[in-house]
Amino acid sequence: MHLQLRSIAKRFGAILAVDGVDLDVDGGEVLALLGENGAGKSTLMKLLYGVHRPDAGQVTIDGRATRIDSPRDAMASGIGMVFQQFSVIPALTVRENLALAHASTPWFTGRGARRATAGLAPLAAIAPDVPMDARVSSLSVGQMQLVELAKALQQDPRLLILDEPTAVLGDDEVRRLWSLIRGFATRGLAVVLITHKLADVAACADRVAVMRRGRVVASGAARDFDATRLLRTMVGERDLAAPSTAPLPADAPTRVWIRGLSARGPGSRIDGVDLRIARGEVLGIAGVSGHGQDVLADACAGVLSPDAGEVIVDGETLFAPRQRAPRAGRVAYIPEQPIRNAVAPDLPLALNLHLDRLHTLPAIPDRRRMEADARALLTRFDVRPADPTMAAGRLSGGNLQKLVAARELCGAPALVVASHPTMGLDLAASAFLYHQLFALAQAGSAVLWISEDLDDLLHHAHRIAVLHRGRIAGVVPADQRHRQTIGAWMTGHADAEAA
Amino acid sequence: MSGGTVDRARAMAAPLGRPALAAAAFVVLAAAFFAVIGRNPLSMIGVVLEAAAGDSYAIGESLVRATPILLCALATALPARVGLISVGAEGQFYAGAIAGTGTVLSMLPTPGWTMLPLMLVTGALGGMALSLLAGLLRTGLQVNETISTLLTNYVAALLVTWLVYGPWKSPASQGWPATVEFPAAAKLPALFDSRVHAGLLIGIALAVVLHLVLTRSRWGLVLDVLRSNPRAGLVAGLDFRRNALIVMALGGALAGLAGIAETASIQGRLQSDIAGGAGFSGFLVAWLARNHCLRIIPLSLLVGALLASGDGLQMFAQVPSSVTLVIQGLLFVAVLLVNGWLDRKRPG
Amino acid sequence: MTTFDIVLGSFLVSALRSATPLVFVLVGETLVQRTGSINLGVEGQMLVGAMAGYGAAALWGDPWLGLVAGAVAGMLLSSVHGLLTLAARANQFASGLAVWMLGFGLSAYYGAGLVGRKIEGFGTWRGAGPDSVPVLGPIVAGMTPTVLLALVVAPAVAWWFWRTRTGLVWRAVGESPEAARAAGLRPIRVRLQAILLGGLLSGLGGAALSVDHTRTWAEGMTAGRGLVAVGLVIVARWNPWWVLPTALLFGGAEALALRLQTADAGVSAHLLLTLPYITSLAVLTLTCLRDRGQAAPAGLRAVMDR
Repeated sequence: MHLQLRSIAKRFGAILAVDGVDLDVDGGEVLALLGENGAGKSTLMKLLYGVHRPDAGQVTIDGRATRIDSPRDAMASGIGMVFQQFSVIPALTVRENLALAHASTPWFTGRGARRATAGLAPLAAIAPDVPMDARVSSLSVGQMQLVELAKALQQDPRLLILDEPTAVLGDDEVRRLWSLIRGFATRGLAVVLITHKLADVAACADRVAVMRRGRVVASGAARDFDATRLLRTMVGERDLAAPSTAPLPADAPTRVWIRGLSARGPGSRIDGVDLRIARGEVLGIAGVSGHGQDVLADACAGVLSPDAGEVIVDGETLFAPRQRAPRAGRVAYIPEQPIRNAVAPDLPLALNLHLDRLHTLPAIPDRRRMEADARALLTRFDVRPADPTMAAGRLSGGNLQKLVAARELCGAPALVVASHPTMGLDLAASAFLYHQLFALAQAGSAVLWISEDLDDLLHHAHRIAVLHRGRIAGVVPADQRHRQTIGAWMTGHADAEAA
Repeated sequence: MSGGTVDRARAMAAPLGRPALAAAAFVVLAAAFFAVIGRNPLSMIGVVLEAAAGDSYAIGESLVRATPILLCALATALPARVGLISVGAEGQFYAGAIAGTGTVLSMLPTPGWTMLPLMLVTGALGGMALSLLAGLLRTGLQVNETISTLLTNYVAALLVTWLVYGPWKSPASQGWPATVEFPAAAKLPALFDSRVHAGLLIGIALAVVLHLVLTRSRWGLVLDVLRSNPRAGLVAGLDFRRNALIVMALGGALAGLAGIAETASIQGRLQSDIAGGAGFSGFLVAWLARNHCLRIIPLSLLVGALLASGDGLQMFAQVPSSVTLVIQGLLFVAVLLVNGWLDRKRPG
Repeated sequence: MTTFDIVLGSFLVSALRSATPLVFVLVGETLVQRTGSINLGVEGQMLVGAMAGYGAAALWGDPWLGLVAGAVAGMLLSSVHGLLTLAARANQFASGLAVWMLGFGLSAYYGAGLVGRKIEGFGTWRGAGPDSVPVLGPIVAGMTPTVLLALVVAPAVAWWFWRTRTGLVWRAVGESPEAARAAGLRPIRVRLQAILLGGLLSGLGGAALSVDHTRTWAEGMTAGRGLVAVGLVIVARWNPWWVLPTALLFGGAEALALRLQTADAGVSAHLLLTLPYITSLAVLTLTCLRDRGQAAPAGLRAVMDR
């Protein structure tokens, strides 16, 4: 298989997501496609898999121009894809998910698709321990990904695309995946590995291609790129002063006490979480996604009423069962996925910036004043375009994140709850946001920071607590020496702590 | 279809405007229907216009039909401000008629000046009660409000039938199932020496007031946020349940008002089937107006005129009045087609 | 054979006969909702089905042709919903109501000449052999072809839905159209097929109502049965296996209302007629109380929760 992309372009609204990309992939090699969030790597591969259609450009497979309008076409051309947001269906069983797409599934499948056996071989080969008749929703994230991978392999693809496959896995699972990927290449498959982790490159890439702002800015043999060069290429020639947190004085008094907090949300829960955050402290919450992070964030911000326990801020109970004080001004909250959780997409930016303090406005709000306030905030947090009358839904992902940060971080809150606050931001914008966050900590706020990026947490937080199955598996100072322990806690191996 | 085609069509549509495009689609569909039933579309459109607005009587009848539609459209638009799709105006209309009639009957031997205001208030409360039932089911138990309001419509209509055949049947009306004639004290003042009554003015005034409240006040902003993204509203500490109940209650009150005003001032007594689809026409108008309270005023006049033309059609063109129901449905289809097509989001 | 047997048996028969039109509609709407859409237009599709079915039966004198005509009419009207929601991506609730209005108007217009006409209906087996068997006897004797058809269609569809590849594809589309598309399926096409099949079944249900159950045509005669079906899909938890028992709930309420009416229990007929709607709303509420909406296909939740 030889795949050639020439001048591929795709525009979403005002944003040129992919801007004239040329790329070549050959059978038997692993190409690591690198870039920051929003660089266009996922979009490029979704264009290749027919999820989106390119506005311009040409795809050539083995010398033949190929038109790919849907995933169906892509599969027919021998392309398979493992999505970052899985495409397995949680309500169906593993067997049903695999039977769904396989060409030789019989018309009569029997109950739970038990008569459909043809598509099961790839899964049995890569993960014999996954229960075939369990609903996908009951599997762990790592198992789900293996099912997703098996589903792509069923079609016997000649090119396999994996979108950030290691982002959600624990260390052991990552190693298993690396060896699988190497195995695919040995068997002659072409593999495109989308990632932003340098470890992935070192472990299994033959070639790398780096994207920035929708363009491929560098490519070549993986051995020619060391970590520094890769990072430099991904980020560009900007000088990034790494923001950092000030050291925490040993006698910093407790400002926030999350006391025995239990709460249930859709799909996950937390159970007896007990954490104290000192004045000026940045407490990182690490953990594999889906272990109660969203519930913890919601409960600490007073959005979700807890079943037990309380959130005590400056000695006063703000949130407890059947008790909810208004959070505006005291608790700032940057939830994950701002477009879903934190903004009203078809309403103007000015209104979105006042969302958490609507009740403090006069009964007949003065629009002009709202817009003037908004314009100042937009400029300060570098939201582009800084037009207070524009609908929030028209902002790009990164600017949306900055919009929410502008609203939540502009005051002097006692507690800041930030859930994946830099997701979708490029490094410069991330640095700016960290700067704002840590400046608040320095000014005395207590910061609860949830992230899946252990490197970031180790680098910036004061302490790290690990959330596993809704409970705190342990708390350690943020120090590289504790990396092993944290990893063990994240995957539920509590005994590794003693070792 | 490629993004480019949609963009170009959108650019073309922008100066024309949505209403013009929708109107064009509607005329095409209606003309096609007339052609299918073997009538000359042009002459039929002439007959419709004549029957809807040909003389002062026709205009009066159009306004009479428009009055309950206007109030029912507002009753639909209000819940829609928080994203609720209530189709209960028809049932709330009946509930209002029942409650208001109850007040009139209980005060009957000695009607005083208090009768009219009390009747209107209890009528509004009746509609409000039925609407709140659906609101509570939705906010408390997540019962879909569209389905529950559709079901309660039938219950309310049957309750009216039961009352006028049974407990409230006037002995004087012999075979005809209806209550006694309402006294003059229960009637809203008539306008321009016609059957048009002050309910029309009340409706227009309410539409203007609601428009101002919804677009200028803080509460309007709260509703906008809850509609745009309930989850963001929750994160911002806004109370979806309370606000959903308030708009459902107010909406129900408006439809209830429509019901008792129609009963007292047009029919003069309670009888079966008085709503005659006004609730559903109101839903259509709210959708045409995209829940914009000011736009509801002219659009309900338009739909009222269309329905009023049915009688004229029967008389002058020997076409069954049910043709207007088809035309009304085609109007809805045309608007959904045009709006849906213009709003379709780009993939991704 | 005791009087009790006869009473119970004949009550079951009337419940079953009341439920029959609803079974078809409910099966169809279950499939529609299972693939992730909702169609309130079934009420209008039933009406045109009832009108076309009655008209065909009156014209050609054959009730079977009536059923076929009704099914075709229902399917034709449902294509409007397909066009509006899938091609123009209009709001599903609004589109359903538009289809309802259109169906109401069309059936009233074309059905005006049918009011008061007589048709030749299906025969029953009443008076034949099985009468002597307790409870079951009267049931079998009261059967008509549409009742039997309903008793066959519901389990057949359920079997197809849970045991075949196309059923699996339809379930996948309802859970996640994006995932189904990524797996190489065509969600829009599946949804259109479901809407058209739903239209066919609701038209058949309407025809079963006018041609067999009531043997009359009247404007708006379905009286909300289609809308009841939309709600009862939730009660049946989107599972075709549950369609029969759920439809019997409505049929039972209607049969009870009629029974009390003829027994002159001192309650007004009009009040009793509210029974099916109140029953439906009550069981719907109980279902929602228990499930909290979690039983719905994920793709449908996206439509319902807005």
